[in-house]
Amino acid sequence: MSDVRVHSAAAMQELGAELASVLRSGDVVLLSGDLGAGKTQLTKGIGRGLGVSESITSPTFNIALIHDGRMRLKHMDLYRLESVRDLEDIDYFGLLESDGVSVVEWGDRFPEAFPSDGVQLALTITGDDVRDVSFKSLGPRGEQILVALLAGCATLRDHGIETDVNGGTR
Amino acid sequence: MTTTVVAIDTATDAIVVALARLEDCELTMLADVCEIAPRLANSRVLCSVSERLIESGLRPADVDVVVVGRGPGSFTGVRIGVAAAKGFAHGLGIALAGVSTLDAIAWRNSGTDGLVGVLVDAMRKEVYPALYRVSDGHVERLTPQCVMGPATVAEEWAEAIDEPVTLVGSGLRSYADVFAGALGSRAVIAAQELWWPSGEGLLRAFIALPDDERQGFAPGVVLPIYTRLSDAEEAERLREKPAVDGGLS
Repeated sequence: MSDVRVHSAAAMQELGAELASVLRSGDVVLLSGDLGAGKTQLTKGIGRGLGVSESITSPTFNIALIHDGRMRLKHMDLYRLESVRDLEDIDYFGLLESDGVSVVEWGDRFPEAFPSDGVQLALTITGDDVRDVSFKSLGPRGEQILVALLAGCATLRDHGIETDVNGGTR
Repeated sequence: MTTTVVAIDTATDAIVVALARLEDCELTMLADVCEIAPRLANSRVLCSVSERLIESGLRPADVDVVVVGRGPGSFTGVRIGVAAAKGFAHGLGIALAGVSTLDAIAWRNSGTDGLVGVLVDAMRKEVYPALYRVSDGHVERLTPQCVMGPATVAEEWAEAIDEPVTLVGSGLRSYADVFAGALGSRAVIAAQELWWPSGEGLLRAFIALPDDERQGFAPGVVLPIYTRLSDAEEAERLREKPAVDGGLS
């Protein structure tokens, strides 16, 4: 079951910007999805929404990139990490708990290291430009974020974001 | 004999760098800086050592021994402090001594007799707790260094303590209420500037070390105190074992 269907890369950025508008310092967003599913596009939108002016690229190589904006964006990518122990090497938990919003690509790589709260967005490729995105909260704060995000998405049909997908029942 | 000591601790959000003269057990602080600078230890700590030396008219070659806070604390912070101290000591060919960061915080708060409870934030909703008895300017640690949930620590302390306890440490930023709730009027929360290690705290803890440890070691021998790593390794070992034994491949 998916929560929203996104019809272009630009729409994926819109979704990110909408998500950014409900985030506050300390929030964590885990992203999962295959290569090309739109994780970085979504993060670009989050960055735009947080007032980050520098360009946002995939941190697969750098592992963690920090962008200052109206609110700080900590953009991480766990793809290249081999074990949960490597998380300590990048100060993962320290980063999550420092100021700003954390966006973690391949954030489901180590289930034992899930943060205690936040949201998880799973991106699925369902067509050339079409992506389905399902939402999951990891705690009470995550639930708040998702309620606000879904309400926001309902107004974005003209921007290529569809909310009543597969009879989604949230 | 007079020795010149550099002390470093970056296990918490504070970058602590101090310079002191030690004549037997007589301590003279030449500089003692505690800068709250989260996540900046890697770029600041060695510059700070250099600044302290210049201000005191000393050169690196004048330093006889390095004292480092080995943690527990922020995993990355501990490693930055210990690595910087090792590099500095190794480069000068001098000894390195390690003390507990929790002990250093307790020693900083050893002005009045009584109990001191140190609670350093371990992140992931845990703290590094340690309970101390201060008596006549001497500090004795009563509990082993470990990592625990704040509610469990508060419960244990509430059970064990029937007198006031001065609480210090970065863990109070998130959990002061938990301890005030469990300990009631026994909980005395110290002023926030006393929650961090200080150079003097590190050096008092150093002076209190057993003679053989106080000589210091070859820099390579001194290790960080993690307390949590063994748990992580244990969890990983358990997780990896089925892959080896489970015959799923």
